Amino acid sequence: MAGSLAAPAVPLRRRLERPAKGALGILLFLLAWQVSVPLVGLEPYFYPAPSDVAAAFADLVRKGILPVYVIDSLERYAVGVAIGTFAGIVLGVLIGLSATASRLLSPTINFLFAIVEVAWIPIFVIWWGYGYKTILIALTYVVFFPVLYNTLVGVRTVPQPLINAVRVLGGSRRQVLANVVLPAALPSIITGLRVGAGFAFRGLIFAEIVAAKTGLGYLIFEGAQTQQTARTIVGMISVGLLWLLIDRFYLKPVERATVERWGLVIEADQRT
Amino acid sequence: MKPRAFIGLIPFALALAAWAILPLVVDYPSYMLPPLPEVWVHLGEIVGDGSLAGHIVRSLGRLALGFMLGVGLAVPLGIAIALNRHVADTLKPLLTFLQSIAGIAWVPLAIIWFGIGIGSVVFVIANTIFFATLYNTIVGVQAIPQALHRAVRSLGGRGAGLATVLILPGALVQLIVGFRTAMAYGWRALVAGEMIAGTNGLGYMTIEAVQWYRTETVLLGMIAIGLIWLAMDRLVFVPVERATVQRWGIVQR
Repeated sequence: MAGSLAAPAVPLRRRLERPAKGALGILLFLLAWQVSVPLVGLEPYFYPAPSDVAAAFADLVRKGILPVYVIDSLERYAVGVAIGTFAGIVLGVLIGLSATASRLLSPTINFLFAIVEVAWIPIFVIWWGYGYKTILIALTYVVFFPVLYNTLVGVRTVPQPLINAVRVLGGSRRQVLANVVLPAALPSIITGLRVGAGFAFRGLIFAEIVAAKTGLGYLIFEGAQTQQTARTIVGMISVGLLWLLIDRFYLKPVERATVERWGLVIEADQRT
Repeated sequence: MKPRAFIGLIPFALALAAWAILPLVVDYPSYMLPPLPEVWVHLGEIVGDGSLAGHIVRSLGRLALGFMLGVGLAVPLGIAIALNRHVADTLKPLLTFLQSIAGIAWVPLAIIWFGIGIGSVVFVIANTIFFATLYNTIVGVQAIPQALHRAVRSLGGRGAGLATVLILPGALVQLIVGFRTAMAYGWRALVAGEMIAGTNGLGYMTIEAVQWYRTETVLLGMIAIGLIWLAMDRLVFVPVERATVQRWGIVQR
């Protein structure tokens, strides 16, 4: 009886050990930061304390600014990523199915992929001004190319014997696409999704710094401009947390539902 | 360069042709998309007076400096953290979090700390590369099989010997794979940093021209940014990966 009660207690402690240590690390960091503030003795706008940041956080939440900004940022991100991903996969498969189209368009795609979205924002501003349109187009762009590129690579590298085998056994082109090409290209597509999501997140922050009047990027920039550095840090922490949430609730589940399920685990160190 | 390769140039030729013909067909203000000859002339100007080369050299110098600072600090620190499991467990979540704060998000704070100019830009690049490399170093060192540790130790490996024989080579593959991603983020951080906090460099050149509606400068800046990244990727990262990661049979792509 005592044994059966004690048995689960050990793995539970083991399981809690790592998160507890991690929490301790974060706590120690905050403590060191707080203690260092009076020792350093700099102006709060130059080196705010964690308590200042907490106060700024409470203030931003109370005034309803932070929730609105988070929702604005998330909405832009979601719309841009959705459009870019969808267009990237569809076009990538279509182009990839034709050897000639792949050869024709690959250099163009490589070149456009190499012009980072950050570099497009100035001309987008000239074309569409400061605002939602510019941000959305920049985000769509930055997701579209990694997804397109990786989808294309995935589709092009499907082993021809597999396609031939299904064709010989009487599979239609549609069946080849659904049962051979797409599953085989999936790990590559997911890699594109992850790379695109990471670049897009940075692109979002930059676009909001340059071309928005709301959102987390704007909060970070505006805080620094008005010397409310605690607000800037609230924005930075929100950005970090938001990315971890995107990783946890968008990228990880997609990977689990597709790649890992079929036993094609890709390495997770490409995180960011 | 076989005919197979030339076919890839067709879209570029078509795009240039469309650019040349467009002003004749559609009426739009020339600041939206300056005519091709104008851009060509302007390219001649900024190449001739050396200003383009100056911006490029400054940008690349900052990238190199930021890379060296970031890697130089992150690798020793990463190894030190990874060698002790308790320290690693304690610091990993904090580092994951700091890494997930996008490099660009540091730019405004960097301006407060270092002012407008090279200090802020280098800080942001070094910061981006530091956290990515630190994370990859820790993961790489921890991935070295325990058996190898024991083998080297039982043969008398200690201190510096252990580091050069086992730890650095063992973590190298993970590090090199990580460098490419880190540099991709570092390059974005550089361009973004120069746009917000720079006084020269490619990013500054591009965004500064927007204020004066010098669209031809904007376009040339974009093309330069694209070409330089392609050159770095193909001439540096891909060969390095081929010489190391792929040779050792740990292909990840």
